[in-house]
Amino acid sequence: MRAMVKESIAIFTPQGFLDGNCASSFLTIDDIEATSALKVDMVLVSLKKVIFFNRNGLDAFVKMFAKVRAKNRVTVGFCDYDKKKYDTIMKFYQDGVTFSLFKTQEIARLFTSTFKNESKTLLLYSEDKSQRAAMAIELHDNGHNPIISPNYNDFLEKSINEKAYDFIINDTYLGQMGQKIATRVTGNAIIYTISSFLDAEFGNTFSISYHTNSLNVGFRLFIFDAYKVVAMNIHALNFFSKLASSAAEYNATICFAGLTFEKTPIAFKETLEDSGIIFFNQLDDILHDKELLQELGGSSPASGKNKRVINKTTVTELPRFIDATVLTIEMMTNSKAIKKAVQIHDIEIMNKADKIASSIGFYGDMDGMIILVFPLGIAKQACELLIGEQTDDLELVLDSLSELVNIIGGKVKTLLADENISVNITLPRTYNDIGSLLEMTTDRKGVQVDLEFNNDKFLFFLTR
Amino acid sequence: MVTKETIASYIQKIPPAPKALRDTIMFLSIGELTKAAKVAEGDLALKAYLKNIVNKPIYGFRNQVSEISQIFGILGVSGSKQTVYNYMLTLLSPKKWILFKLNVTSFHSLQDNLSIKWQIILNHLGIQDDDIQNAITLLPASIIVSEALFNEHIEDVKLLRSIKALDYNTILMRLCGVDLFDLCEQVAQKWEMPQNVSTIIQASSGVKPSNDELVNKLGKWMHLLLFYELSQPQTVEAGLNDFIDFQVDYVADIYEEFSNLISMDNLK
Repeated sequence: MRAMVKESIAIFTPQGFLDGNCASSFLTIDDIEATSALKVDMVLVSLKKVIFFNRNGLDAFVKMFAKVRAKNRVTVGFCDYDKKKYDTIMKFYQDGVTFSLFKTQEIARLFTSTFKNESKTLLLYSEDKSQRAAMAIELHDNGHNPIISPNYNDFLEKSINEKAYDFIINDTYLGQMGQKIATRVTGNAIIYTISSFLDAEFGNTFSISYHTNSLNVGFRLFIFDAYKVVAMNIHALNFFSKLASSAAEYNATICFAGLTFEKTPIAFKETLEDSGIIFFNQLDDILHDKELLQELGGSSPASGKNKRVINKTTVTELPRFIDATVLTIEMMTNSKAIKKAVQIHDIEIMNKADKIASSIGFYGDMDGMIILVFPLGIAKQACELLIGEQTDDLELVLDSLSELVNIIGGKVKTLLADENISVNITLPRTYNDIGSLLEMTTDRKGVQVDLEFNNDKFLFFLTR
Repeated sequence: MVTKETIASYIQKIPPAPKALRDTIMFLSIGELTKAAKVAEGDLALKAYLKNIVNKPIYGFRNQVSEISQIFGILGVSGSKQTVYNYMLTLLSPKKWILFKLNVTSFHSLQDNLSIKWQIILNHLGIQDDDIQNAITLLPASIIVSEALFNEHIEDVKLLRSIKALDYNTILMRLCGVDLFDLCEQVAQKWEMPQNVSTIIQASSGVKPSNDELVNKLGKWMHLLLFYELSQPQTVEAGLNDFIDFQVDYVADIYEEFSNLISMDNLK
């Protein structure tokens, strides 16, 4: 069984009966390896569809938790259970619960830094005083407003007025939380949340491949939210200096927000500033200043200096890219595609209104970027299968569109692998208006293929 | 991807039950075991299937049973009918399983386990009805249908499932507006199985409860039994655990009773 990844949380959803007999079948060695390789903040096992479990059944997952946590330092645990299941788990593991327990997936999401930073009002209760405090600190750190009930009666009293809270958190337990560098995307800026002591170990925990992929896909502003950092040593300083040099090649900007220099030599600040890193007192100084954001490159995915021309290898493999795209859209819309025109030039979009776009990069034996421009109607239709119903919610459509482009990227990867060409794909990006897409593609030549689905024009663009 | 046309052509391709089988079932329905055995002797594949089933260790016979009349005698009217229905389903099943990691043996084993446990459940509920007993035979049909419909687009389906945790039933429902259980009903109709077989199968999906109290009760037991079997190591390894969406709430009220019954059976 493989975990489903959404918003940096990997979730396993076993169904039915979970006992020692079948648990090892749910998780093979390959499954554990695949889970360890995931770039996520949390690995959870949902018990929503489990009607029976015993300790042996849970143990298979608990062992997996230990391995994944040791390797990736992420938060691991169970979620989606009722009071009876919670009490049973606590009883099974009364000698020490090393994993976390989140009553629902939504509650688990509140504990991740990648959760879109919407401040929520939360009623919080745990019998265990230290748990109450730990949860409150984590939630507060993530920008929420936890109201703590000191005892059960108070909790019952307050929870009567459930509409006063976005979430009521009880029957939840924080095991060892992840120490991973949390990453989130705000607009076109990537924010890394870092904490405690930054030393030689930092280079191991920071995902260089994620960072490079983000640069490849067009992100130009990287902010290190460092208000929880206590101190930095010379190894970390060298690391950041190198990171800044490589960012300069892409014309990208690196900023630090909230870093204090009480325990870090002030000379480090000068060194980092010389490397091109900019310092701000707090994160909001950047995020709430639109002009500054634009100046730093975080409001639009500027194409940077790194423009390369499309090459013969890319053009040779073009049919595979188009096949992957057309087959996926046909699969999702149940309609046939007609190829209209193929040309090599800068991207050319007629009628920019009511269109949205998405892009995904690939790198490895060959590199480049696929850009898809959809009329809103086709996008909605294509995403309907993923959403499960028709929707006019643009954010939901964009969200599903990035899943759709991810499917296309996955398909390209498979088709190229058949030709012994090994590539990896980057995170997908979406554009809710064509203007921001055009800014990113300025002066980039590529292959443009006009396709028609049910008389609606759809554009495929392959560039480097 | 799977379209309404694909489904129509799939249903079209399902062969009608061969005459020998229909006659066998007809004679079994009126309790004429000898006549049924005589007709069944003429279908060599059915004969081999029945011999294979009844000589499994689960039946515990020291000597090989090879006469069809003997086999029908051992299985009884209802058991014989159920076995013939199971055989009809194997006619539909693929030679090589691709989507699910099953083979002839493991599929038969799933069929047998469901049939035997369903019998125990019906005895427990005090229900003696041939058609209701036979209803369980159609449950594995949904697995066959799913395998057949999706394996031509296996990469697409796998990719879709890896991005969004949709079960096969939901994918089919969203694409074509019919689900696997509707298709099973169509298979049942094509094979002229009694109407109440289809009704119970629909209720066992867990998402289409019936207004008929008995049908609904049987649907719940069948849904839970299906997931009990889909949680066994062999079926989990076959990739069947997330085959359809398990409706925990639908079966919550019978869980304790089910659990006691099955654990008692396991102790035997």
